[in-house]
Amino acid sequence: MEALRKKYADRVNFVTLYIKEAHPLDEWQMDSNVDEGVCYPQPTTSEQRIKIANDFVKRFSYQMPLYIDPIENPANAAYAGWPERFYIVDEAGTIVYKGKPGPFGYHPEEVEAWLAKRFPEVGGGAASSPSS
Amino acid sequence: MRLWKKIVIGVAALGLLALGGFTYMVGGPRNLIGMLRYDQRDEGKLQVGDRAPDVQMLSLDGKTPVKLSSQIGDKPTVLVFGSFT
Repeated sequence: MEALRKKYADRVNFVTLYIKEAHPLDEWQMDSNVDEGVCYPQPTTSEQRIKIANDFVKRFSYQMPLYIDPIENPANAAYAGWPERFYIVDEAGTIVYKGKPGPFGYHPEEVEAWLAKRFPEVGGGAASSPSS
Repeated sequence: MRLWKKIVIGVAALGLLALGGFTYMVGGPRNLIGMLRYDQRDEGKLQVGDRAPDVQMLSLDGKTPVKLSSQIGDKPTVLVFGSFT
């Protein structure tokens, strides 16, 4: 996503909403997270979630503006974002693209296709791949 | 052996094979149990063409409430939902 964000930086805002954990160690923990040392219990306070979000930003030197869904999960409730999902909202605040829930519905290349259609002048090769 | 017994055994064997295959596909029995208990994937009610609901978010320093609507406006906005895990 970072390559895509840089490519369209002048024309598009990118915002990350940090929502409830998909695979915390006290719920549906994944072996891959254990291998990578990403082990957190599901936060029960906003402060705990903010702490994990900060760890995430540090680990990946995450550049995109990132905001945290408060512990009552209002953003997730409104957008059904769990475990990961894309939307595109136009200048008027209207939803123009709604991705499907990840991991199987998580398709950065669909986001890129929408942006490429809207901003054909940007051109160039694909910045995202299905796995990025 | 009677035919119906053969059929029952055959169907049971196929069922076990399918369950085993599915368990393997989702990454082992632990992930299967996790998925059955904690899968919260939801299509959601929003549709393309709807107004993006405004929500109050928190900044990384934890001190500043930020409205999503304040991030939308001058350009199209890509919203990325996700978590570390």
